[in-house]
Amino acid sequence: MPTLTINGQSYFSDSPPDTPLLWVIREELRLTGTKFGCGMALCGACTVHINGQAVRSCAVKLGDVGNAAITTIEGLDPADAHPVQQAWVELQVPQCGYCQSGQIMQASALLAGNPSPTDQDIVQGMNGNLCRCATYPRIVGAVKRAAQIMKETKHG
Amino acid sequence: MADTTEQGVTRREFLVRSATLAGGAFLSVGVPPSLLGGGQAQAAMAATPAYQPSIWFTMTPDGITTMHIIKAEMGQHIGTAFAQIIAEELEVPWDKVRLDMPLESAENFGIYGLAYTVNSGSVTTEFDRLLRAGALGRIALTEAGAKLLGAKLSDCYAEAGRVLDKTSGRSIGYGEILQKVKIDRKFSYPGDFRKVQLKDRSQYKIIGQSVPALDIPAKTNGQAKYGMDVFLPNMAYGALAIPRTRYASKVLSIDEAEAKKIPGYIKAVKIDDSMGKCTGWVVALAETFPAAVKASKALKIQADPGPYGKLSLADIMEEFSEMSKKTEESAAWVLEGDVDKALPQADKTLEVEYTSDMVCHAFMEPINCVVQHSSNDEWHVHVGTQSTGFARMTLTGYLSKVLNKKPEELKVFVHQYLVGGGFGGKQDYDDILAAAYCVKELGRPVKLIQTRESQFATSFPRTPTFHRLRGGLKNSQLTAMNQDIVCGWMGPRFAVGKQFNNGTDWLQLDSVDGKKQDIDQWSIGGSDHWYYVPNHRVRAWNSDRTTWAVQASALRTVSNSYNMFVVESFIDECAHAVGRNPLEFRLGMLNGKGGNRGIPNTGYPAGTPSDYYMDQLWISLPWPQEDSWPLYESGTVGGALRLANCLQVAAGKAGYGSKRLPPNTGMGLAVSAAEERQSPTWVACCAEVTVDPSTGKYRVNKLTIAVDMGLAINPNNVKAQVMGSALWGTSQVMSERLTYKNGAIEQTNYHEYTPIRQVDVPEFEIELIQSGRHPVGVGEPASTVVAPAVANAIFNAVGVRVRHMPITPAAVLEGIKNKKA
Repeated sequence: MPTLTINGQSYFSDSPPDTPLLWVIREELRLTGTKFGCGMALCGACTVHINGQAVRSCAVKLGDVGNAAITTIEGLDPADAHPVQQAWVELQVPQCGYCQSGQIMQASALLAGNPSPTDQDIVQGMNGNLCRCATYPRIVGAVKRAAQIMKETKHG
Repeated sequence: MADTTEQGVTRREFLVRSATLAGGAFLSVGVPPSLLGGGQAQAAMAATPAYQPSIWFTMTPDGITTMHIIKAEMGQHIGTAFAQIIAEELEVPWDKVRLDMPLESAENFGIYGLAYTVNSGSVTTEFDRLLRAGALGRIALTEAGAKLLGAKLSDCYAEAGRVLDKTSGRSIGYGEILQKVKIDRKFSYPGDFRKVQLKDRSQYKIIGQSVPALDIPAKTNGQAKYGMDVFLPNMAYGALAIPRTRYASKVLSIDEAEAKKIPGYIKAVKIDDSMGKCTGWVVALAETFPAAVKASKALKIQADPGPYGKLSLADIMEEFSEMSKKTEESAAWVLEGDVDKALPQADKTLEVEYTSDMVCHAFMEPINCVVQHSSNDEWHVHVGTQSTGFARMTLTGYLSKVLNKKPEELKVFVHQYLVGGGFGGKQDYDDILAAAYCVKELGRPVKLIQTRESQFATSFPRTPTFHRLRGGLKNSQLTAMNQDIVCGWMGPRFAVGKQFNNGTDWLQLDSVDGKKQDIDQWSIGGSDHWYYVPNHRVRAWNSDRTTWAVQASALRTVSNSYNMFVVESFIDECAHAVGRNPLEFRLGMLNGKGGNRGIPNTGYPAGTPSDYYMDQLWISLPWPQEDSWPLYESGTVGGALRLANCLQVAAGKAGYGSKRLPPNTGMGLAVSAAEERQSPTWVACCAEVTVDPSTGKYRVNKLTIAVDMGLAINPNNVKAQVMGSALWGTSQVMSERLTYKNGAIEQTNYHEYTPIRQVDVPEFEIELIQSGRHPVGVGEPASTVVAPAVANAIFNAVGVRVRHMPITPAAVLEGIKNKKA
């Protein structure tokens, strides 16, 4: 029975190994912050971190996860106050909110790899995440703001 | 319906009353729902059993005030806006405000009215009475507080959740008042309700502030709950096998052999489609959703494709063109002056055809629901929907048929959740019916989730359209304009509800040509623009076959989304035809003459286009009526002059006609007063676009938008809505297209249906014009101006006029080549 490490906790799943990780996270483990959008890695709503990398969980098979450390939106920060989350609230990014877990997971991975992204870096880095409410301009602004918060907290 | 309830409340009373509950006292404020307008339609659509006051908010002894929001929360942060309005007059501190979403039931329908979110109308229709409800609550609390303080009422006032005595300086908190006395204050309705003194806007402390939206924090940490996030014990999962056609196919046989090999597979259910919904639907049930999806693909289903099995988009467009030639079969929507007489007298005439493709909502959250039939014979639906009210009524009608019971014997409850994008597309209930049927067949709760593929296959698209326009110009003025519109009307499809709703007529408006035939505002609106053209006619044709074949439906601004593209492109064409500046040409016609002056509070003559539904249909849309409603200003006051002002602001800020532009770059203008003639939000846009003449590809560099929404309840959120809807419009003109072949929608996922992404986003400048008028909706209108502004900018950039939406690079390139040839 596969063991999964999600947000620092161990979970077991007896689902078939070809089950998309998304559905294990959402419907079996009931970490519902991770959303289903397309099932083909086209929209980014299901983005989680696997070993720190932003990954579309709908396109990852349960059997391929192994011992990897998985982080979902629920585990991004113990106080739900990751700089990206802070910036998202400060700039009032979400509208319907359905894609935003994925946006936040994508943005936090982006900033982990590139703490000082240019506008172009952000647009390219976030281009895989659809938002039908088109909160795009605020997403770019909030990623920049999050980068600033990260710097302030590091050096402040 | 009795005039008096068991509690001795009459329909002419407005209640502020406290009561003792297990958790302590609470205060509720409400008004009899039958006076909330729309009574005729409500009465027709469902019997309201026990008559009770509607409850808008309750306050508990800790001072926490919970606003009960019957509007769907689908990105517009409507709960926050409503709470700001109530809190302003109630004098509740913002940190004490909470929101909830009432359960929909036959009983609560009587209490809250019809829960339906549509038409960008929530603030427009509720602003006034939410203020008054808040003010009366404050008065009742102030009276009680004065007594407890032993002070004269005239010395007391309420502020920030306390009643204060000016003389002694003493004060008492709202919560303490509730703990100490029982309030049972009745106000006359509408008398006191109308007379209550409201604050002058200059005194507002919460309205007009960009307070953070109350629903946002939970949307950043995974805690926000959508319908899909519901789990019930012993629940099975359902996945829809993609039906053979979009509509009217019939399932002949189901071979489950392969599906049975899938672990967890339960069975396939052929959905009862005897109500004309869920036609050709087969749902695969399994213990997990992935197993249900696998099974849905493994099922071998034989189906009769039905009457639309060979129909394709090309056939539809050909039919539209043919229909438009039969003018005797049209229904007139606008009839000003005499177009036939004026056209021959013109110096110059234009005749052009426009078309638009289908698009669909493609909301990020695919449609889903959880349905349960409880042991005490209650049906519970968990869903995020634009109308829990219609969901309940539709399911009640369906169940009464499939269970062979009377509607009043059925106990149906709809639990509302956050909506992961609505855009007009979450007001059909096929999935709920299907899930309920599966529950009936299985005897277990069912969670039905559309895959993205089944979502596209069963989407409710905007109709394709065909338009023929003729313009007559005399002395360089537009003296005659004729627009012929052929499309599928969505209204008749919604009128399927007739079967459930005792014959409620969804097409209440009649044509203005003497034939008095049904005409569908939602499919024609927008063509009744605010330009003064002395001879103006709009004729419409309904292709009923198209309506049913593609399941034509409402999509953000409904018909404005294509009609403004057509009207505003054509106005530009007319200006260029006589060598006039499109800005100055427009301003000359936005003069507020005739019916374009805006409508005073007293109403306007019957027969004026679009004059019907506010006082007759749906919700509680309050067209001011002398006897029943406090008068407030119609959103139309000011008329075309407000549109002219927006245009001047947008053009001025963008530097239209004066800014130095790079090569192959142009600016284009457009105005719109979506959504309907009755409920305008005044918007103007200047788009700056650069075209690559070698490929036809273009980029929208910048959108400058001016919006006069009267009053911005929450300016930061208004800007978010304007930006989001403008980008919706950008997406429609640049990259969205749904096609239809052999009865089925061709696109299957986001690689084939491609809304814009980050890389396509232009720069923005948004100007909110706070004209001091009645606040109107902002969730949709800005989506209508972008497509025509972009079309006009492309013309100004490279001289190519594209008369089809979306504007593809191929069409631009073809235009460039034709120009050279």
